[in-house]
Amino acid sequence: MNLSRRWIFALVAIATVTTLIFRPGLPLSVSRETRHVYEMIESLDSGAVVMLSFDHEASSLPEMRPLGAAIVDHCFRRKVRIVGLALFSEGTAAGYELISQRANAAGKSYGTDWIYLGFRPQYTSAILGMGENIGDVFSQDYEGHPLVSTTLGSRIHNYHDIAFVISLAAGSMPTYWVEYAQARYQVKIVAALTAVMVTSYLPYLESNQLSGIIAGLRGAAEYEQLLGVPGAGSRGMDAQSAVHALIAVLILAGNVQAWRTRRSRHPMESESR
Amino acid sequence: MADTPKPASDGERITMTFIETTTTALLTLAIYSFLAGDNPFYKFVEHLLVGLTIGYTLVITIKSVIWPEAVLPITQGQFQTVVPLVLGGLILLRLVRRWAGWSRISLALVVGGGAGVAIPAMLKARVLDQMTATMAGVTSPAGWIILAGVLSTLTYFVFTRAHRGVWGTSARLGRYFMMVFFGATFAYTVMSRVALLIGRLEFLLGDWLGLLRS
Repeated sequence: MNLSRRWIFALVAIATVTTLIFRPGLPLSVSRETRHVYEMIESLDSGAVVMLSFDHEASSLPEMRPLGAAIVDHCFRRKVRIVGLALFSEGTAAGYELISQRANAAGKSYGTDWIYLGFRPQYTSAILGMGENIGDVFSQDYEGHPLVSTTLGSRIHNYHDIAFVISLAAGSMPTYWVEYAQARYQVKIVAALTAVMVTSYLPYLESNQLSGIIAGLRGAAEYEQLLGVPGAGSRGMDAQSAVHALIAVLILAGNVQAWRTRRSRHPMESESR
Repeated sequence: MADTPKPASDGERITMTFIETTTTALLTLAIYSFLAGDNPFYKFVEHLLVGLTIGYTLVITIKSVIWPEAVLPITQGQFQTVVPLVLGGLILLRLVRRWAGWSRISLALVVGGGAGVAIPAMLKARVLDQMTATMAGVTSPAGWIILAGVLSTLTYFVFTRAHRGVWGTSARLGRYFMMVFFGATFAYTVMSRVALLIGRLEFLLGDWLGLLRS
């Protein structure tokens, strides 16, 4: 049997669309890793500062946005202040829009509760430079105000004034945060990743070079569950589970078919085994 | 006094949102049309994406970096940014064959400085700290499994000794560990790609067609 790829695309589309429309509400458990990141923010004092770096491109927004929204909401709920920045140019506007939208909804004001530093190329020098003096790397914020003119901007000098850095990353940027900020300045790093990056970063979590990992749409859904506010992550999880089940069935069917084809071509070889 | 722009009425806002959403939806559908085969709509949107990305990056870099950090200080009498600006300009001389050699000065600085900063940092974070964690982790069963995985995978990559006997068994074990890693990575990749599909379909069904409950 030879199933055309287009049938597989159609099956995946049908599974996604039907579960998005009908939302069966499949159960979801919270992983240890996500709970740990949640508790890290939960344990911060009111007024503590978290640095949120948008290190991703626009193509990964479906995963990054729900993750970022959940983290920003949690920070504002805990009265934790946010310093946003981007080390990928495409993350710049996305990060600014996300924080300003959530800040407006939470009644937080720019300059006091959050600031956005903007984009810097050459992430190595940007990360290292902020360890010495954030004002040297970002003399102005994204809105063009001198950094020292804002209440929050005048409070942060280097990583000593930051509780931890969260890198919302779709690539290898958390590695550079570990190499240049964690190893050199001992600042804690949390990686909020696309799911595809998880296996690359689990060794860093095991070695405590990363203080936490939260990943993909599932991570966002888990975080929303902990916050008690379902959002984009939770909405997508039913569809994600349905498509995973479908793909698992297709992989099993493909393997059975491949085994049967091989057996019919080489019956002696199969019997000798 | 300059005229202040009139705020948009509700009707204008609704029309703008409709145009924005419909344009985005049509661009998404044009990209997905590739599933049925290569076609001019897909090609158009692909080129549009490349052009927009380059243009956006250029604007962000000028607005966030070149203007406030390099040009503005010079206009305010702080001339220390002249040096990096000149060095950056030298790299552009690669475009002129006669003067291309001048770009080597800047490149030498970038390569030399970059390597000097990166090598010790990489060695510490990616090798030494990882080795320390692997050795210190043997106080738990998971730590022993990690140690077995590291050692057996390393034996697999020793090609100057035949993979026979105990060495061969260790190399085979290493191969199994790697297969588990590849399987997990593939599963996470599927998860990631499905999330992207869900994001787009949520947009098409919800924001554009209004078929989804909020």
